[in-house]
Amino acid sequence: MSNKKTNLDKREAYIKGLSDNIIKSAVDIVKIEPTSEQINEISTEVTERLQYESSSLLNEAVTKLHPQSLSEMYPEERPERNFERFGKNFRYQHMLMFVSVIILIITGMPLKFPEFAISKFIVIDLFGGLQNSTLIHRIGAVGLIIVGVWHLGYSVASKIGRRDFFLMIPNLKDAADFMGTIKYYIGKSKSGPKFGRFSFIEKFDYWAVYWGMVIMIGSGAIMWYKEFFPKYFYDVGREMHSDEGLLATLSIVIWHFYNVHFNPEVFPMSWTWWHGQLTETEMKHHHPLEYEAIIKEESVDIIKQSENDDVEDNS
Amino acid sequence: MNRLSYIVLVFFLLCGSSSDLYALEKCQICHSKKEIHRSEETGRKIPLYVDESIIARSVHYNKDCTDCHSDINEIPHKAVKKVNCRRCHYSGNQVGAPDGQMYDQYEHSVHGMAVLAGNEKAPVCQDCHGGHDVFSHKTIESKFYWQNIPKTCGSCHIEIYAVYKESTHGRAVADGIKDAPTCTSCHGEHDIKQHDNAESRVSDERISETCTECHGPQGVVNKYNVKTDRVETFEESFHGIGQQMGSKTVANCASCHDYHDIRGEDDPKSSVYPDNIPKTCGKKGCHPGASAEFSSGQQIHINPKSEDSGIIYYISKAFVILTVSVLLGLFAFIIMDLFRRAKNARTKR
Repeated sequence: MSNKKTNLDKREAYIKGLSDNIIKSAVDIVKIEPTSEQINEISTEVTERLQYESSSLLNEAVTKLHPQSLSEMYPEERPERNFERFGKNFRYQHMLMFVSVIILIITGMPLKFPEFAISKFIVIDLFGGLQNSTLIHRIGAVGLIIVGVWHLGYSVASKIGRRDFFLMIPNLKDAADFMGTIKYYIGKSKSGPKFGRFSFIEKFDYWAVYWGMVIMIGSGAIMWYKEFFPKYFYDVGREMHSDEGLLATLSIVIWHFYNVHFNPEVFPMSWTWWHGQLTETEMKHHHPLEYEAIIKEESVDIIKQSENDDVEDNS
Repeated sequence: MNRLSYIVLVFFLLCGSSSDLYALEKCQICHSKKEIHRSEETGRKIPLYVDESIIARSVHYNKDCTDCHSDINEIPHKAVKKVNCRRCHYSGNQVGAPDGQMYDQYEHSVHGMAVLAGNEKAPVCQDCHGGHDVFSHKTIESKFYWQNIPKTCGSCHIEIYAVYKESTHGRAVADGIKDAPTCTSCHGEHDIKQHDNAESRVSDERISETCTECHGPQGVVNKYNVKTDRVETFEESFHGIGQQMGSKTVANCASCHDYHDIRGEDDPKSSVYPDNIPKTCGKKGCHPGASAEFSSGQQIHINPKSEDSGIIYYISKAFVILTVSVLLGLFAFIIMDLFRRAKNARTKR
C-alpha cells in the first residue's frame, strides 16, 4: 500500500517537473517575461492535462498487461459490489428442495437396484427395514410436494417470482444462444453469447425440474393411493417413477453438480445457494445483459435523483 | 442244540447269503399265517403276517429277518422293538447299505427333531420308506415312487393331501406328468424344515427361489406353455424388492397363488382367477382397501421388456431413449466446456 502511495507521489512530482519544463521552454521561445498569474494559469492546465493523460495511459498499459488488475488500481474508489441473485424466499425453497430430494434419492435408489449390496445396507442396516425406509421416502415426498406448491404460489403471488417466471419462458434468443455457445465451444467464435438473468442452460435446468416434479409427484401419489385406482395406473406410475427417478438423479449428480460443484470456476462449491449473492465480476461474466440493465437502471435513477436535487436547490 | 444242527448253522454262516432262506423259512413258520396277530391291551389287533413275496422283491431281499429285528434271539419271541435302520445305514458301513448325508439331514429335519423330542407319531425311516416293503424308488410299488409320494406324505398330512390332489400340480402328477412337482419337489426330502425356518425351501425367504427351479427362465414349465418370466417379474415388482430387502410382510409366490391349492388362472377355484383376485389382494394384512378396479382384470406380473405389457413397454422404451439422449447431451456440454476452459487458460498464459 505504502509502496503504491510513494509511486503516486513520485509520479506527481515528476509531472510537476515536466510541467515546469514545458513552461520554461515556452518562455524561452516567446522571449517575453510572463506575469506570475499567467504562469500559474498555464501551469495548472498543463499539470491537469498531464495527469489525465498519464493516468489514462497507465490504464491502457495495465489493461494490455493484465486486465484483472485494473480493479486494484483504485481500490477505494471502486469497491467490489455484490448483486443479489436469489432472494431469501427462493433460497429457502431450494434448501427444502435439496433436503427432500437427497432423502428421496437415498431411500428410493435402493429399490431401483435391490440386487446391490449397498442398497441392502441402506435399507436394512441404515434404516432398519423397508417399513422405515418407505416411511422416510414419504416424508421426503411431503417435503417435495410442499416445495412444489410453495413455488407455484411464489410464481403467482410474489413480484419477483412473477418476474422470474416470465423471464424463464424460453424464446428465440435461447436457440441463438445455444448455437452461439456451441460455436464458442468448438472455437468458431472468440466469445460466448451474452446472457440475461437466465441463460438457456438455466432455463433447461428449471424446466427439467418442473417436468421431474410433475412426473414424480403425480406417479408417486398414484402409488401412495394405489388402492383407489385400477392396478394399471399403479403399474404405469411405477414405471415412470422408477425411470424418471433415475434420470433426475443422474441429471442432478452429473449436470447440476458439475455446474455448482465440480466446475473449476466454483470448485468445491458455489455458495450462492446460501447467501444468494454474485460478485460484480461474476455478474459481468455470466449475466452481462442483466448487469448492464441494472447499471443503466441505477444511473437513470441517479440522474433523476440529481435532477430532483437541482429542482429542489433552485426553488 | 444238537451237534448236527450246530454244524449246519456254522455251514450256513460260512456260506453267507444262503443262510437267509433258512432263517426266513424259520420265521415264516409262524409269520406266513395270515391270521397271526398280536392283541394290544386296548383290544386292537396288530396283524403279524409277513408276505414273503414282498420281501423277496424289496431291496432287502437278501437280508435276514434278524439283520433288522436284531433283538430276536429266541423262538417264540416277545414283542419286538422298532427297527433301527442306522444299524446298517451309516457312513462307512461294511454291508453295502447306501449311505450319504440323508441321515444327518433327517436328524436336523422337522421330522427328525420331533422324533428326538419324543413325539411317537413323528415319522421315522420306515414310515416313508416302508418296513418290509422297501422298494427302489424306480418301482411303481415303492412308497416313494414319484407318483406315490403325495399319498405317502398324505397318510399323515391328510388335509393337505386332499387339497393338493385337486391342485394343478396334484392333477398333473396323477396324469403322469413326471415334471410336475410332488411334495418333496418343494419341501425337500430328508431335510424338510418347518416353513417358518429360514432354511426351509418353502420359507418366506426361499420360496421364490424354490419356485424358480421350474418357473424360472430355464424352467421345465416352458414345455407346458406356462410362462417362464413369472419369477423374474416378481423379483422386479415391489413385492419382490421388498422380499430382497428382508420384509416379512410382502407377498411372495404363495401369498397370491396359495401353497398347496395352486391352480391355473383359468380355473374358477383359483386364487388368481380374475374374479377372485380382489379377494386375494384384499387379504387381511395385505391390501384390505383394494377396490375391485384396483385388482381385477389387470396384468399382475408386468414385464416392461415385453411388448405384451402395452403402454408400460413403450413408457420404459421412451424413458431409455430420453435418459440416454439427455445424458449424452449433458456430457457433451460438460466436455466441451472443460476443453474451452483449458484452451482459455492456455492462451492467457
